[in-house]
Amino acid sequence: MQPQRILRLTVFNVLAALIGLAAGLVVVAATGADVGFALSTLIFYPFSDAYNIGEIFVWFTALLTISLGIGFALRANLWNVGGEGQFLIGSIMSMIGWKALSGYGIPPPIMIVLMLLSGALGGVAWVAVPAILKAKFGSNEIVVTLLLNLVAVGMLFWALDGPIRGRFSAGYLISDVIPPELRLPLLIPETRLSVAVFIALALVVVMYILAEKTHFGLAVKAVGKNPEAARYAGINIPKITVLSLLIAGALAGLAGGLHVMGVLYRMDAGYAETGFGYIAIVVAMLGAAHPIGILFSSFFFSYIMIGAQAMQRAVQVPFPLVYAIVGIMLVSLTISQYLVRRERVVSWPFTRS
Amino acid sequence: MAIHEVLTLEFFIASLALTVRIAPTILIASMGELITEKSGVLNLGVEGIMLLGAFTAFLVSFITGNPWMGALSAMLVGILIGLVFGVLTVYGGVNQVVVGLGIWLAGFGLSDVLYRIFFRDVASPTVNTIGVTPIPVLSDIPIIGPILFNHNPLVYFSLLLVPAVALFLKKTNLGMRIRAVGENPKAADSMGINVYRTRMVAVLIGSMLAGLGGAYFTTAFLSSYVLNITFGRGFIALAMIYFGNWNPYRALIPILIFNYVDSLQLGLQSIGVGIKYYFLNMLPWITVIALIPIFGRKAQAPAALLQPYRRAG
Repeated sequence: MQPQRILRLTVFNVLAALIGLAAGLVVVAATGADVGFALSTLIFYPFSDAYNIGEIFVWFTALLTISLGIGFALRANLWNVGGEGQFLIGSIMSMIGWKALSGYGIPPPIMIVLMLLSGALGGVAWVAVPAILKAKFGSNEIVVTLLLNLVAVGMLFWALDGPIRGRFSAGYLISDVIPPELRLPLLIPETRLSVAVFIALALVVVMYILAEKTHFGLAVKAVGKNPEAARYAGINIPKITVLSLLIAGALAGLAGGLHVMGVLYRMDAGYAETGFGYIAIVVAMLGAAHPIGILFSSFFFSYIMIGAQAMQRAVQVPFPLVYAIVGIMLVSLTISQYLVRRERVVSWPFTRS
Repeated sequence: MAIHEVLTLEFFIASLALTVRIAPTILIASMGELITEKSGVLNLGVEGIMLLGAFTAFLVSFITGNPWMGALSAMLVGILIGLVFGVLTVYGGVNQVVVGLGIWLAGFGLSDVLYRIFFRDVASPTVNTIGVTPIPVLSDIPIIGPILFNHNPLVYFSLLLVPAVALFLKKTNLGMRIRAVGENPKAADSMGINVYRTRMVAVLIGSMLAGLGGAYFTTAFLSSYVLNITFGRGFIALAMIYFGNWNPYRALIPILIFNYVDSLQLGLQSIGVGIKYYFLNMLPWITVIALIPIFGRKAQAPAALLQPYRRAG
């Protein structure tokens, strides 16, 4: 892309995001809350102290990892709406991996790697069903990945009641706590920011190379741009479909492992309520499904989300306001796309011609 | 109770009657969305429209005391959202998936926030629901009577909607135009059909019925509101159209299967058999996914589905 196009894309996408926020503020105003206070909380709270800055990067790590995968599948015009479920299963599988492998005297560093792998594999398994059904029966991956999010919530209750149930849970749905030597080391004390953020950043490079510099990445792009032409060029579309979705699932599952091993160290029934997987869809789109774009949109969104959560607490608006904001952002993104279409600035992930 | 003690004839009649009583939500929404999809437009926002429809219906019937007013206003909300969706996707030609997902998330968030704002000071609000109207004579037939003919009017409406939509698409002028623009908009245009207007009408019908499908929860099925009340049923409605190969009659079978599994697990949960609630909760969703290889084998979408139309020139 030329610099000018990137600039236009950025301006319009940020404008679209701001429209969503403005709509959120309208809802805040409708509740009779102090809009000025809400707005200043939204803007300044995320940078108010070290802990909050750390929180931005906690969100950044999760959103970046998940949306890199969603963005990659988007290049093949595949919509992985199941990031939420894959993230959840990834977290569960990291915990199960820990439970299953502890007692064999495996050194902690290797154990950490195995737990993260287990999480990524969990995400892969969770996306494999929609991927194969899409490739084999042409079923809509959006519907199937979404339904599996609902099943994943059931799996969380199952896991908390069975394989990862805490020894002292006393009837509550709460898991054991991951011991300190198996946690991802913290970067800054008194925050929740761990080295996971470096793994997420390294993934940007990996995904950039995979998407832009390999035959596979180009094939994925070709399928998304024009499946007919790709088929004539001899590209195996079902294979591309399955593989690009599996990559998306692996990253979302890994994000789940990173989150439980780097931030929370335990799971409970409320674990399903983060919304990372849904918000990551918007992040991936805002970043135009490009790893570098997603890097920036993840940061932008993490900042906004910490601010929005603080605002929502400060003026006592329910958390789902965040979903309303994200939804309106999506709709306004398409309006910004419409406005710049003659330039074709926002290209293949958004149009299907 | 052990499971074999539960599975009596009474239990089956009750769960079949419950199946028919739950079915309208998905049935009405998917019949509407079927019309939309036949015109070549996929509205992924059905879930969001249903949620806002359910909330609006609850709010209006709470205020007016009349559930029918609630259902009517939910249809109006559906039309309003359909207008936004249609202007953007049909006239603007923007990506239907993105707007649909946006409407879903916005509806999900807004219905929740608005409910908590409007009913902040009301302790467990309830509304009147549309009452049962047994059909004379037919409702007295053993077994079939209680299953099919002892319900609220919206149940009968939803069952009649299936042949109505089939006839509408097949026999009426508008129905034929809708199918034409969904299969080959260019050819339809050359025959003098206004592609944009036809698609817009199909979108409005679909989202109006999605609003009513959502309203069914709060005007006929439950007397109180639950957050995220549709819980994925809008997406189920989308899957059902695909399972039915875009044919109203054929969609009815998977819709009834889903709702049967749903009412079965509700029934088993309320009785309390030895199966964990989370497994029972997962059952309907897993059923839908398991049905894909059976019903999705030869599914053939309308040829122009998801493709925005732009006049040459």
